[in-house]
Amino acid sequence: MAEVILKNIKKVYPNSEPKEKKGLFGKKKKDDEEKPHHTHHLQITDEGVVAVQEFSLNIKDKEFIVLVGPSGCGKSTTLRMVAGLEEISGGELYIDGVLMNSVEPKDRDIAMVFQSYALYPHMTVYDNMAYSLKIKNVPKAEIDKKVREAAEILDITQYLNRKPKALSGGQRQRVAIGRAIVRNPKVLLMDEPLSNLDAKLRNQMRAEIIKLRQRINTTFIYVTHDQTEAMTLGDRIVVMKDGFIMQIGTPQEVFDHPANLFVAGFIGTPQMNFFDAKLAIHNGDYYVETEDVSVKLSDSKQKRLKEKGVKEQPVTLGVRPEHMEIAETGIPGKIDVTELMGSSSHLHMTIKGKDAIVIVPRSDSQENHMGEEIHLSFDGSNAHVFSLEDQHNLEY
Amino acid sequence: MEKGTSSPKTRSISYAKWGYIFILPFFIVYAIFTLYPQLLTVYNSFFEYYRDGLTVVGPNFVGLANYKALFTANSAGYVPIFKFLGNTIWLWVIGALPQFTIAMLLALFFTSTRLNIKGQQFFKTVIYMPNLIMASAFAMLFFALFSQVGPVNQLLVSSGITQQPINFLGMRIYVQSLIGLMNFLMWFGNTTILLMAGIQGIDESLFESARLDGSTSTQVFFNITMPLLMPIFIYVFITSMIGGIQMFDVPQVLTNGHGIPDNTSTTLIMYLNNFLGISKNYGMAGAVSMLLFVITAVLSTFVFKTINKK
Amino acid sequence: MKKDANQSAKIKLFISRLVVYAILIFLSFLCLFFFYLMIINSSRSNAQLKTGFTIIPGGNFLKNLYNAWHDGDINIPVGMKNSFIIAMCSAILTTYFSAMTAYGTYVYDFKYKKFVHLFILAIMMIPSQVSAVGFIQLAFKYNLTNKLWMLIIPSIAAPAVYFYMRQYLEATLPLEMVEAARIDGSNEFKIFNQIVLPIMKPAIAVQMIFSFVGSWNNYFMPSLLLNKADKKTVPIMIATLRSADYSKFDMGKVYMLMLMAILPVMVIYIILSKSIIKGVTSGSVKG
Repeated sequence: MAEVILKNIKKVYPNSEPKEKKGLFGKKKKDDEEKPHHTHHLQITDEGVVAVQEFSLNIKDKEFIVLVGPSGCGKSTTLRMVAGLEEISGGELYIDGVLMNSVEPKDRDIAMVFQSYALYPHMTVYDNMAYSLKIKNVPKAEIDKKVREAAEILDITQYLNRKPKALSGGQRQRVAIGRAIVRNPKVLLMDEPLSNLDAKLRNQMRAEIIKLRQRINTTFIYVTHDQTEAMTLGDRIVVMKDGFIMQIGTPQEVFDHPANLFVAGFIGTPQMNFFDAKLAIHNGDYYVETEDVSVKLSDSKQKRLKEKGVKEQPVTLGVRPEHMEIAETGIPGKIDVTELMGSSSHLHMTIKGKDAIVIVPRSDSQENHMGEEIHLSFDGSNAHVFSLEDQHNLEY
Repeated sequence: MEKGTSSPKTRSISYAKWGYIFILPFFIVYAIFTLYPQLLTVYNSFFEYYRDGLTVVGPNFVGLANYKALFTANSAGYVPIFKFLGNTIWLWVIGALPQFTIAMLLALFFTSTRLNIKGQQFFKTVIYMPNLIMASAFAMLFFALFSQVGPVNQLLVSSGITQQPINFLGMRIYVQSLIGLMNFLMWFGNTTILLMAGIQGIDESLFESARLDGSTSTQVFFNITMPLLMPIFIYVFITSMIGGIQMFDVPQVLTNGHGIPDNTSTTLIMYLNNFLGISKNYGMAGAVSMLLFVITAVLSTFVFKTINKK
Repeated sequence: MKKDANQSAKIKLFISRLVVYAILIFLSFLCLFFFYLMIINSSRSNAQLKTGFTIIPGGNFLKNLYNAWHDGDINIPVGMKNSFIIAMCSAILTTYFSAMTAYGTYVYDFKYKKFVHLFILAIMMIPSQVSAVGFIQLAFKYNLTNKLWMLIIPSIAAPAVYFYMRQYLEATLPLEMVEAARIDGSNEFKIFNQIVLPIMKPAIAVQMIFSFVGSWNNYFMPSLLLNKADKKTVPIMIATLRSADYSKFDMGKVYMLMLMAILPVMVIYIILSKSIIKGVTSGSVKG
């Protein structure tokens, strides 16, 4: 049982505090990625640079939460605050109902998998995994049992006597996970665990993590910049930007109902297409209109907009590439490049001077060539309208 | 754990205190065994404080009298500190000149892809070796070899080159040359290895493109190697100078602490050592130390400047 | 024509190689010659030594060894024991505490961290002789002469070793490793002793060697501090050879004593020359 509750968590790096970890050799540390001096959009107050603010989230027991966002958004900082590696500047953190703000990492009953694996190079795989148990003076026999169990789950039994140096990246990753799970932690934290792997291994390990999750019952908090990982792994996703939460929701919710322009653009690949448009009301119904088309929004959208009493206004219209189709009439555009992707084709287009991507079935693409002018349409249930003012989704 | 001792609301996990704990032993020992003695050295330099036979004179505050005495000519008509500083610099120069010339050449040989020298590890091992030899034993060996009844003189006499054994340790030119030779032997290997590392740190493609542009090896050396090696060269050169100012073991043992002949090989530290010997003249020794400190401080500033420029 | 150019380039290269190898061999000869002479002479009797140079060892090696070991004036076994105690203890303390200090300023963020680092760099260049006056004065005042630990304890504060360790840590220790250990439940001292020290093994080994050699060869400070016969170190004993009346001396024994003085360091060097030479560069020149 481990609920994790974050209440209005805040992280401020005081201006005076030297956060730079640059070696005299000029070698920069990897974890700099999340440090504030790399980004310029973070809020700067008298206290210093605000890396995370107004972060509130209730994580249920055994839930798999993914924090996702571009570099510098504060996701790793948040995770490190949960771990106890960073001080919490404001707000409260509870694990299982106990306030954890000032508790040292070793007493939080958490485990963490690092991006660089951080395996102890002078110890064998076995000793790496056994280290935390040895410190707690767990009896030798029990350590052995637990290490072998974890090794079994991760399929690394045959490497137990090797040093980390003798392992491949994927194997090291497994050891890092093994080291974390031997202790049956209340919360398992993972900081970009797959980003040091190549694309093929990454897909494989992603599946492994899903399997792992079914075998060990614990709460997961997972940080990634990769929205695909977020979508496939998370029960719920927390999308972050510039230290703020942009949206919390299930992968489906975040995908189908992005709360704002940023989430709409960040989640889903290829990226959502955006056009300048107008939200119009005809006979009490909402339409989204460009110069060429006028599409009536779906009933559920009508209802939500009406409830909020949204007025006619210029908007940013968002439509995902897979939701656009070739039609006789509609928005005109020119095909720049056709990419055959197997079962479908990606058409890279210029529409009203902007780049856009449209995914069409393969049969369609055979008729469409580079340089050709075509027309596109979309369904009212797939159109997202965002306020020009503050970029939020007008439905919510 | 601090959980119990302070309210969890305000007290948060910070590791800052551990930083202080880890550096504490260093600073305690530094304060007691280095800083305090250093300050005492400065303090002493303003006092008359020495031993005369069995009586201790002082400590009496004398202001700058020790410094004044330091820069006053003695009965032999010279200012000792100037003479000994001059000796020290001269002894360093006659060793350092061949040391840096040879080391530069060797570094170029070893790093040249054209020459492709084999057995580099062996040569490096051999030329670095004298650096680790106990300097006092090395000096004693030279003394044994070059003494009036030593094997060198026997060889010279028996082969008829000279009629009488040469008093190597009684003639300025020989004593100074021997000290220079020993310093050269002890340090050229070390310098070679450092300069080599410097040259290897230069981007290989610069040499290649210069060569393709038609530069001769001499041009490559003056236009590419030397300018890019400069910071490291200066660093090695000045650290050698700082080491040279502290020259002691070799001349001390070779001349039995007398800087024979006629104090022409007495170095600054030998002079300091004399004050610390039986006379325990802490006042004058303090003044000499201060001079030593000022000289190294100036030289060190150069080192830091070159490091920072990089 | 073209072939000629190639041929002459080849000859030029051959000649320059010849010259370079000749220089290298000459310098190597110069470096080895004196030590070879020392070894040869240490195996000859006083009478043989009076006959001048030879490159063939004499038959008196063991006799000289016995005489040197049992000399009435110069107690070399005690000297070697004293030197060894000082050198070994200093080497251990200086590496352990320098690593600890470097770890302190590298891993932890505290207010004066930058200042501390720069301070240590600044004091690195102050010659040890500057503190000698005060040090000697204190030693005589508090009756601390002839105490070996007076030469051992100060090695805890070694700025140059600190600098080397700090650079090594920056190049090899990811901060994530420390954080992983924290989460594994280790406390800060355990992290340093169980995780960081083993990672720093190569740096510690190199610095232990340099520190050992430095203490073993050190003459200035010990000669001022140690004047009792049973407390003297090897360099002091070697230096007293010089003040003795050498014409009455058994020179075979003298050479043997010198050989014994440098032998421990030579043995270490022959075994570990490769890592020592590597250590020369990594320690003093910034990469």
